[in-house]
Amino acid sequence: MILSATARPHPPAAAVSPAKAQIAFSHVTLDLGGKTIIEDVSLDVKPGEFLCIIGASGCGKTTALRLAAGLYQPTSGDVTFDGASMRAPRRDVAIVFQDYGKALLPWRTAAGNVSLALETIGMPASQRPARIDELLHKVGLPNHAGKYPAEMSGGMQQRLQIARCLAQEPKALLMDEPFGALDAMTRQGLQDEVLELVAASGATVIFVTHDLEEAIYLGDRVIGLLPHPGRIGIELTIDLPRPRDQLTTREQPEFLRLRRELFDFIKASEA
Amino acid sequence: MNPALLMWRAASFLVAAGFVGLWQLVANLKLVSPVFLPGPDRAWASLVRGFTSGDLLAKTIGTLEHMAYGWLLASIVGIALGAMIGSSKAMRSYVAPSLEFLRPLPVSAIIPVAIALFGLTQGMALFVIAFGAIWPMLLATVHGFAAVEPRLYEVARSLHMSRLAVIFKIALPSASPDIISGMRLSLTVALILAVVCEILAGLDGLGYWVLLSARAFRSADLFAGVILLGAIGYVTAQAMSMVEQRLLRWRTSGH
Repeated sequence: MILSATARPHPPAAAVSPAKAQIAFSHVTLDLGGKTIIEDVSLDVKPGEFLCIIGASGCGKTTALRLAAGLYQPTSGDVTFDGASMRAPRRDVAIVFQDYGKALLPWRTAAGNVSLALETIGMPASQRPARIDELLHKVGLPNHAGKYPAEMSGGMQQRLQIARCLAQEPKALLMDEPFGALDAMTRQGLQDEVLELVAASGATVIFVTHDLEEAIYLGDRVIGLLPHPGRIGIELTIDLPRPRDQLTTREQPEFLRLRRELFDFIKASEA
Repeated sequence: MNPALLMWRAASFLVAAGFVGLWQLVANLKLVSPVFLPGPDRAWASLVRGFTSGDLLAKTIGTLEHMAYGWLLASIVGIALGAMIGSSKAMRSYVAPSLEFLRPLPVSAIIPVAIALFGLTQGMALFVIAFGAIWPMLLATVHGFAAVEPRLYEVARSLHMSRLAVIFKIALPSASPDIISGMRLSLTVALILAVVCEILAGLDGLGYWVLLSARAFRSADLFAGVILLGAIGYVTAQAMSMVEQRLLRWRTSGH
């Protein structure tokens, strides 16, 4: 299974022409505290692509995302966005953190949290309310503008964080296990909402998850990392038709086959 | 207000009234000489007389001014300094030992120093009150700034927020519960030190009034002054709690 995976339809990412890539890792290695966390990762993400990264815990998938975000700098190699090195986070690359409870300002209402991004991009105060309204509507929180995060459920808080990220008008969304802490039903609802939002905005997405089905359901491509040190171990192109459906997509033989392949990969990587 | 809360309130008023009644009883029975202990009736009469024909209002304002100026100075310096120290790990490790040495220093010990430096002046009072009142705020602010959720700084980085915006939109509000509780503690310290400074330096205010009344065996005036000081402490603390509740509404709301 694993051997056949490397021979799957698409060639290794490094072979893709870098000119077309929006986010590109070239031979990226990262050492933290004397340990190599990521080793020689090369990876191209095309504009508008939905890339999912999976892997056993401790394989460096969150670290890879933080490299893409500019929150970490590679020890060697380079991470570029639209051809420019990521020396620091960029405003047009939004990050959705897993721990929404920590990433929101608890002293600001839902509207205030979205406003934070609008204030920072310099939108005049007179235009903000309409835009906040529009964004909260988009993520399904139209009637919660005046609520504080502590008054909202986990799913609602994560929606709010996504709304704040959309307020940055990002070219790329980097999502770090955004639904990991949510219950199954809420998670499925949010998966579909994210797919819709992304389809509407055309943003590039890197989505880190430990949920194999989630990765297949959402992604155009799934990359699996091997642990110690983190490196690319498998790369699958997902050719399932869009728009995807929680029931029919997940019942397709191709979906099941991909799931089997990723499952075997994870199992082998943990062995 | 729900009935249970109302009952507790009523009970607490009854207890207070009981104390006043007991005081009146002790005074009436002359268990303590009236030269030293006036009844609540005489203290109240003195209070009314002081406000209508005397200069008790001026004394009260004097004490409030000492307290407020010292407290405000301490707030501004304490929060600014605390923000500087708290937001930098290096600063914390450099400055923390000095703070640990200065903090337990009894403020009364620096009063002679302040008198030597400033003389028996308003400036001395301002210095002493501010010095005493700064600690709760300084330490609370340092703690508040040091405890800001690191994730929020990452949010700020990804939004490219300016340094000033990070301080005013993230660090200060995040530290505000600590800062405000520090300010509440400082308020009491400021009142105590205002009275002490007035007594020591003969500054116009309730402290000096109480001292003079005691020396002249005007026990009713003495008690009127003490009651007023108690009232000032109570009212300012209540006002601060109201401000706190209003500013920190986000903390109490929720499920």
